Amino acid sequence: MNHLLIMLPMLIPLYGAILSLFSWRYVRAQQFIGILTQVCLLIATFLLLFDVNENGIRTTQIGSWPAPFGITLVADLFSSMMVITSAITGMAIYLFSIKGLDKARQTFGYYPVLLILQLGVSGACLTGDLFNMFVWFEVLLICCFVLIALGGTKPQLEGAIKYVTINFLATGFLLTGIGVVYGIMGSLNLAELAVLVRTPVSHPALITMAGMFFLIAFGIKAAIFPLFFWLPASYHTPPIAISAFIAGILTKVGMYALIRLFTLIFVTDQELTIPLFTVLAGFTMVIGVFGAASQNDFRKILSFHIVSQIGYMLMGLALFTPLAIAGSIYFIIHNILVKTNLFLISGVVAHRHGSFALKKLGGVYLQQPLLSVLFFISAFSLAGIPPFSGFWGKFMLAKAGFEIDSFVIVFVSLAVSLITIFSMTKIWNEVFWKKKPVSDPLLEVMTEREKHDNRLLHLPVVMLVGFILFIGLYAEPVVAMAQLAAEQLLNSELYINAVLKK
Amino acid sequence: MKTIILATAIRILIPIFIIFSVYTLFRGHNHPGGGFIGGLIGAIAFVFHTMTHGPQQTVDTFLKLNFYGYPRQPNQSRSLYLMRMMRVNVWRRRKMARHPEIKHRMIRIESVYIIATGLLLAATSGVVGLLSGQPFMHAYWADFYIPVLGKPGTPILFDLGVYLLVIGVVLKITFVMSEE
Repeated sequence: MNHLLIMLPMLIPLYGAILSLFSWRYVRAQQFIGILTQVCLLIATFLLLFDVNENGIRTTQIGSWPAPFGITLVADLFSSMMVITSAITGMAIYLFSIKGLDKARQTFGYYPVLLILQLGVSGACLTGDLFNMFVWFEVLLICCFVLIALGGTKPQLEGAIKYVTINFLATGFLLTGIGVVYGIMGSLNLAELAVLVRTPVSHPALITMAGMFFLIAFGIKAAIFPLFFWLPASYHTPPIAISAFIAGILTKVGMYALIRLFTLIFVTDQELTIPLFTVLAGFTMVIGVFGAASQNDFRKILSFHIVSQIGYMLMGLALFTPLAIAGSIYFIIHNILVKTNLFLISGVVAHRHGSFALKKLGGVYLQQPLLSVLFFISAFSLAGIPPFSGFWGKFMLAKAGFEIDSFVIVFVSLAVSLITIFSMTKIWNEVFWKKKPVSDPLLEVMTEREKHDNRLLHLPVVMLVGFILFIGLYAEPVVAMAQLAAEQLLNSELYINAVLKK
Repeated sequence: MKTIILATAIRILIPIFIIFSVYTLFRGHNHPGGGFIGGLIGAIAFVFHTMTHGPQQTVDTFLKLNFYGYPRQPNQSRSLYLMRMMRVNVWRRRKMARHPEIKHRMIRIESVYIIATGLLLAATSGVVGLLSGQPFMHAYWADFYIPVLGKPGTPILFDLGVYLLVIGVVLKITFVMSEE
């Protein structure tokens, strides 16, 4: 039962993808299989979270090979929370794709690839082996390449090439890092590495060097300050359902890997890593939010905000107290939901009004008041206004910063929040509030069917807003769980004992 | 690139490639070989065939199942009818293809289905262990040896899955490239 529960988040999307491949010609069947898979995945991840919450860290050894030799899968609270969030997001994306994505793309293998992407996210979060983690990141990269290029329009191919080139570079760094780690310590199991790093005979300087390889690799994947430029260049090119999923999940999986590795393994040289992370976090926040302020396209603004929000997650790692890590975890969960939702809202607006450019949009508030309220909630969550979810993450981070007297980074993060509000206000003013500039008679007249489709597109947005309100208004259990997860991350003995069974 | 030398040569080579690929597949557990290499060797056969005869011909020869049939006569018993149908489909195929009354149905095996079957086999070989309370991909082995191939067990299923997957992917790539 134990083994099955950890495997289910990977097996369900895999079998879903296989079934979708078998029904290659029948898009309806693929849609049905996709939704069914997502529902099952959601249930399975909830079960996993309850199990881990009750019984502590759960492990399974693939193929019955014992821990340091075979591949281990580890489910602790952090990874189960990641998996469950990705399942919720995936569910919303599937609901959106049925009406929000053109038929041509749906017939060319969109559903199986999306399910394999979901499999990759689960795999990257649950694995307890360094090389296996690399493989899962490759799965993510290939799926993203297919999804971004699917349809083959010119801007899409341009975005895909940028995305893949820079990510191949990241892969190279990652592989080099893994090679160095294996060369120094002769093992790739994360728990075994955690033991070896803490023994006095190991070489601290070399381990730090390997850590820097991982920092660059996952820094590119997570879009940290000097390495983020590929993200705004590629995320706005594919159709909205695809870019919402990639934007919501992928960078956060990179961040997950960073937090996992830099709390478990690369902790020997914190005089170097902590100031480095602080500087990077500050620059990532500031540059991202300024980039967003200068943009005039709905999706590009949101893309730059991804970069800015990554800074907050890194800030938790830079402060390195239990509360700060908990803040990071809570912030990742909150950000996946909110960011996906904002992208989906931009998709609903574009579906109705035919554009992402702020100049051409306007008057949405008059026509779709419900959508405006949904955007309002999500935008305020992103900016961190008190009752909504973003506030709690930022509050935890700021409090943790004050506790250890890191005033500068806290000040920067609060200032960035203000500029985030400015960006969100800009979208609100331009898209929802101002009068529609030119009324194109062709776009104004929608058929009943199109209006019906547009109403159906609200469904995933409403669902995500429900979850955002839940983790914002009823934050206590989620925050408590994030704090428990942070405890597990910082007490590496728990992880080591669970995997190596000492 | 239709040359008579190549066309004659591959008639002999194709069975050799396929037999050798299956052999490589099965010896792969303990010796060099396995599903991936075996699949590639097996795919060479189809790639050569496509090079000489074109993709359409390859599909017609290898990836098409023809079924022949005719409506049941009014007073014909079911068993007799089934026997006739079997005869038509199994050992008088060549002749039946030209028979006027016989209808035939074709099923084209798309490479996507080969890929999906391969994935299904590979994934399911792991689930076997899971269902009996062991970790994923826990191996079960039989107690006896098969002469050339060795000991059967669940990892063979995984290799077989990889084999089909590789063949499917290479076929798909070959067909797409040769159509352009």
